[in-house]
Amino acid sequence: MSGFLYGVALQWKLDIRSKSLLVTCYIVPLIFFLLMGGIFTAVMPEMKSTLIPSMIVMSVSMGAFIGLPPSLIETYGSDVKKVYKANGVPLYLGLVTMFLSTFSHLMMTCVIILLLAPVLFEAALPSHLPIFFLALAIYMIVSLSIGSILGLIVKNQAKLTMIAQLVFLPSILLSGIMFPIDLLPDFLETIGRVFPASWGYRLMLDHGFQLENLWYFILVFCVASIVCGILLKKQKSK
Amino acid sequence: MSSAIQVRGLKKSYGSHIVLKGLDFQIASGEIFALLGVNGAGKTTALECIEGLRTYDSGEISVNGKTGIQLQTSSLPAHIKPMEAVKLFAKWNRAKIDCAMLNTLGIKEIETKQYIQLSTGQKRRLHLALALISDPDIIFLDEPTAGLDVEGRLSLHEQIRNLKSHGKTIVLASHDMAEVETLCDRIAILKDGHLVFCGTASELTDKVGKKYLIHIKTEQGDNTFETDHIEETLLSLLGEFKHKGIRVFDMKVDRGTLEQQFIEIARRAEE
Repeated sequence: MSGFLYGVALQWKLDIRSKSLLVTCYIVPLIFFLLMGGIFTAVMPEMKSTLIPSMIVMSVSMGAFIGLPPSLIETYGSDVKKVYKANGVPLYLGLVTMFLSTFSHLMMTCVIILLLAPVLFEAALPSHLPIFFLALAIYMIVSLSIGSILGLIVKNQAKLTMIAQLVFLPSILLSGIMFPIDLLPDFLETIGRVFPASWGYRLMLDHGFQLENLWYFILVFCVASIVCGILLKKQKSK
Repeated sequence: MSSAIQVRGLKKSYGSHIVLKGLDFQIASGEIFALLGVNGAGKTTALECIEGLRTYDSGEISVNGKTGIQLQTSSLPAHIKPMEAVKLFAKWNRAKIDCAMLNTLGIKEIETKQYIQLSTGQKRRLHLALALISDPDIIFLDEPTAGLDVEGRLSLHEQIRNLKSHGKTIVLASHDMAEVETLCDRIAILKDGHLVFCGTASELTDKVGKKYLIHIKTEQGDNTFETDHIEETLLSLLGEFKHKGIRVFDMKVDRGTLEQQFIEIARRAEE
């Protein structure tokens, strides 16, 4: 157990040292929040009620789809994975430690947004904070599990950059965080519902924590867990 | 002497490409054993199968003792620091950190650097330290001195000899003949997935049937003579030089280098 905890703490430090995770989990999301938060609330004052969930969706999408997968490729796409085998440690431990580390980094960014938004932009705080954090945790876990599949399935960083954008951009543009989803044509709205961002956004809104917004996360998490299990088994048998 | 590792009928293929075609050998406890072969001969695959890092198609491998594996450079995260890796490995192996060993390998001197900032030699030393964390009985080294300068190479050779003196069994894969000749008790030569030789360096010389080579440096230049009867030939040559009044400056007798013998045995295996 102490090895596992030390591994998670070490991964957390390595993520800070690795500039890519620092940029994707902290710098870009927080700069985006500071810029767009000001613009959104100045142009559309009614966005003050949804600013926190929308900025959090952007941050989680970036961290999960662009931040986590490169760390996984660094391990599972290279000889680094042999470290686990050579020490008799299960191969999934790397995935679990990176998952938990990215989760905690993203949670910190979300807390910063939650604390700064009311002060800087008079944004409304969620009415039920415990439920809001539960919704946030569920949304983050599912987004990170999709990011995990990307990191395990794609073999090199160049391909990953392209594929990650194919998941990240529609998540941001079609989830309703930049503009109301009703303004989108029906087919784009349907495409938007494939990605966790639109579901996460609705789940985090006041009174959004309902089964009709939850089933998607349960389904995607189960599928993602199975896919990750299969991909790791394939790695192990090589 | 008891056997540390036994390999019987080891076979391994990648798709339709057969890499190991039935290897049989055993390694005694406390010896330094080398797997030799040109690139693609299958030595790293064989080593990884024995280490348990790679699955194999058929055969039997028995390893008697705790193992430590020196991984190749590039097998740690880029931003990890040496002491962080040491602590992580120690926790995974539930082992105490041996500070004396870390000092000997110079790990303390590089503890503030990140893995990506280490030189090849420093990375090799770190990987050796990580392999030794659990105080293993059997240590696997894959190309341990590749990319090292002369000083680094000699220092690592000293560490390896030191491990042997503590009763450790050392298995190394290499294509550096000079290194193998200097360090190893026994050698296995792989050629296209087959074991073409397994024994000591002198057994290899006997098998190749190499004649003695007498190198004589005189005032007229260097001469090399090949013979089966060293004493008679040497006396006769010296007598001849004396008779002709030619001064002899230096003299050396050998049976060829391990490299020459390796080439010869590989050539024979091809035939």
